[in-house]
Amino acid sequence: MSSDKEIFIPKIHKELGSHHPINQMKDSIMNLLSSFGFDIINGPEIETEKYNFDMLNIKATHPARQMHDTFYIENKSYLLRTHTSPVQIRAMLKNKPPLAFISGGKVYRKDDDATHLPMFHQVEGIYVNEDVNFSQLKDLIYKIIYSLFGEDVKLRFRPSYFPFTEPSAEVDILSSEGKWLEILGCGIVNPIVLQNCKIDSDKYSGLAFGLGIERIAMLKHGISDIRDFYKSNLDFLSQFK
Amino acid sequence: MKVAYKHLLNFLDDKPTIDDLSNKLFQLGHENEFKNEIFDIEFTPNRGDCLSLIGLARDLNAFYKTNLKLNTYKDRIESLSMNFINQSAHDCPSISFLKIEIGKIPKKYHDYLESYFLDLNIPKNNFFADISNYISYEMGQPTHAYDSAKINGQIVFKTIKDNVEFRTLTKRKITLSGLNSIFTLNEEVINLAGIMGGETTCCSLDTTTALIECAHFNPEAIIGKAVKYDLHTDASHKFERFVDPDCHQEVMRRFIQIVEDHTDIKNIEYASYQDKEPAHKKIPIDLKKVNKILGLNISKDIFKSYLTKIGFLFEAEFIEVPSYRNDISHQNDIAEEIARLIGYDNIKPQKITISSSGLIHDLDKVKKIKSILVDNGFVEVVNQPFIKFQSNGSIAVDNPLDINRKYLRTSMTDSLVNNLIFNEKRQKDNIKLFEISDIYTMHDGDIVKTNKLCLIISGRAGRNFKDFSKKLDKGYLSELLKDLFQIKPSAINEVSRKALNTKIKSSIFSCEVDINSIDFSSHEQGIDIQDYGIKINMEKCVQYRAISEFPSTYRDVSFSITDYKNIEDLLDTISKVKSKNLKESFLFDFFKNDKAGEVKAGFRFIFQSINKTLTDIEVDEQIDYIINQGIKINGVYVQGYKRV
Repeated sequence: MSSDKEIFIPKIHKELGSHHPINQMKDSIMNLLSSFGFDIINGPEIETEKYNFDMLNIKATHPARQMHDTFYIENKSYLLRTHTSPVQIRAMLKNKPPLAFISGGKVYRKDDDATHLPMFHQVEGIYVNEDVNFSQLKDLIYKIIYSLFGEDVKLRFRPSYFPFTEPSAEVDILSSEGKWLEILGCGIVNPIVLQNCKIDSDKYSGLAFGLGIERIAMLKHGISDIRDFYKSNLDFLSQFK
Repeated sequence: MKVAYKHLLNFLDDKPTIDDLSNKLFQLGHENEFKNEIFDIEFTPNRGDCLSLIGLARDLNAFYKTNLKLNTYKDRIESLSMNFINQSAHDCPSISFLKIEIGKIPKKYHDYLESYFLDLNIPKNNFFADISNYISYEMGQPTHAYDSAKINGQIVFKTIKDNVEFRTLTKRKITLSGLNSIFTLNEEVINLAGIMGGETTCCSLDTTTALIECAHFNPEAIIGKAVKYDLHTDASHKFERFVDPDCHQEVMRRFIQIVEDHTDIKNIEYASYQDKEPAHKKIPIDLKKVNKILGLNISKDIFKSYLTKIGFLFEAEFIEVPSYRNDISHQNDIAEEIARLIGYDNIKPQKITISSSGLIHDLDKVKKIKSILVDNGFVEVVNQPFIKFQSNGSIAVDNPLDINRKYLRTSMTDSLVNNLIFNEKRQKDNIKLFEISDIYTMHDGDIVKTNKLCLIISGRAGRNFKDFSKKLDKGYLSELLKDLFQIKPSAINEVSRKALNTKIKSSIFSCEVDINSIDFSSHEQGIDIQDYGIKINMEKCVQYRAISEFPSTYRDVSFSITDYKNIEDLLDTISKVKSKNLKESFLFDFFKNDKAGEVKAGFRFIFQSINKTLTDIEVDEQIDYIINQGIKINGVYVQGYKRV
């Protein structure tokens, strides 16, 4: 028989919790963009049509403004922001160029299926200065994508359309299965938007980009159903320690 | 939009391969895929001009030699005396009518027309409607064919606000409400403008005289109607995105030509109404600005050559925008055209250095709170804000996704209670959750935002031999919150289980506070904000393992160890044991029985299958295997268990 002195007492390991994977991804991307020189700004989730649409050159007849796409409040006096761009509009109205802002957070659209939810998260950035151009936008996008997916990833730019940028582009990466996957939207800020924010569009130009956090998180973690993020299942959440 | 490769080739003299064509379409911004030589092309909403064979060929002229000339009727056409009034020229600035009478309805279509229906799997309707549909595919202009014999009175185009009944040509009865642009015949609605014609005046298989309407509608008069009435048509899709106002003559002459290709025409008459001549947009030539926008240095000749290829005209100091390009209005639009033709991927990146404004928004407090809670075993959840019940200050959504999610939550506690119950139903017995979110309420007509923290706890204090038998209680939460955040115990509430439909009896405690009320000032230790890593890469990223929706089951095993020096070996063996469907295991009991001269080590083994509910036999087989790994160690046995 052994003596008392020889008894091994097991260690008690501290049980750590976990940050939500979407917030982890959002904060990681915000940290990354901060390291590029962007400042973090915040804004309300309940917005007005003026900041969410009008100032961004999204016309009254644009489908995004219809009742089937946007959640309205108080007989359309307010709405749940459909993107984080109004945060940038508010910041541009308050500050003078050069401006380099990122805003991240919850946004809302009237969708609900395996790939869309009525609430999801975005990070958007804007940079306004003299002589900002499309070739520089490409450099920034390469930096972002390489940081997120490694420098071996193949990416492509394709023309797209957003009322607030012109030229506009969407960026895809090539998956390991050989499929192109849409990652972000970007473009040169439409001069109308700068003018709306009292910025001289002859002197200044800007670039803007936006990423859907859930999409990036799904790709990076190999998750196929967006709804898994919001079931609050501990078996799911505790995987992201 | 579905487009047959062979149809498009008819307009491309260079006859590119389908792969090359696909790549070029992609470069132009027309995302596409193809199967059996049929393209499925997705156009951005600003490019309504591309929604036809001619439109695509016009854009592809950037790369290929094209032939955009269509065979059209060349002879003189008699004028049509129409009983028509346009009461809303703003919504319909121009409109034309063609009355066409044929002798016989053709039994067969020419190859080009037959191929449209066959290759794209489009159902035929009647002769005039079929040509109308084909013309829309070929030229991008939707037309509507009325049976002329059914038009006996005055046609009026107007935009109305009244509620009126309308029966579509697909025999659907709709009540039009709000602003709608319509055509009426003797006060009866015969056409919802730009969307769909009506049942009473549409052509049939017997129609030999048709009245073809070719209109230009202001997109603003059309947008939203297809969704509102669930009438998604080719016409609505095109009119919402803008249709060339300057093509009516050619479209009508093409219509006549196609009719003539198939049968004898007895009579044709034409009438055209135009509020004002379509304005030809002109933009100053500013190559310097375009180069500045793109970060390029292209020459004027190249600039001119690119734009000319896609239909822009140069005159003196201006660029004249083609009538079909409603999306072009300033230098940035011109820059985008140049970039498309160069190819976005062919533009070299230029090094960028961001010079920030130095504005910093302090989010550190929230990060600190989160890190502290995670460090203390709390799991962060994120909930949707939409709930069923109204409470004081609730904000109602005008147009919720469903009526059971009409209000924005004014408190997070209910969401976290739901999260807790959800996990209890999945056999979780140690639950510590938190959420941080902005909460919005309405007070005296003002929207008030509060950044809140909510925590909830229930179940065992921990999954280790010291805490397993202890419960998460008010004392635990009080101490934690007081120590960490200076939150008073009065902020902690016990959640009643009465209304929760749960058999579990563990108490539930929650706390919901304004982030602003949290005070770190007396915190002794420096708080380390978790750095998630600035550079994320795939190697470091957690790869998600699918979770099971089948119930888990557990077995508790108490190992007796008489040879104390082998305790560590046992713990090590159990921690490393691999068994199918073993989800997790932990040491929940550890004590020395001096009287018996042995140490007891109690382990809980939790089993769960990803694709089925495990049977007792299956679990017992696995637990046998695990026990046998343990009792192989000298001086280790399980009371009453015989080695298998």
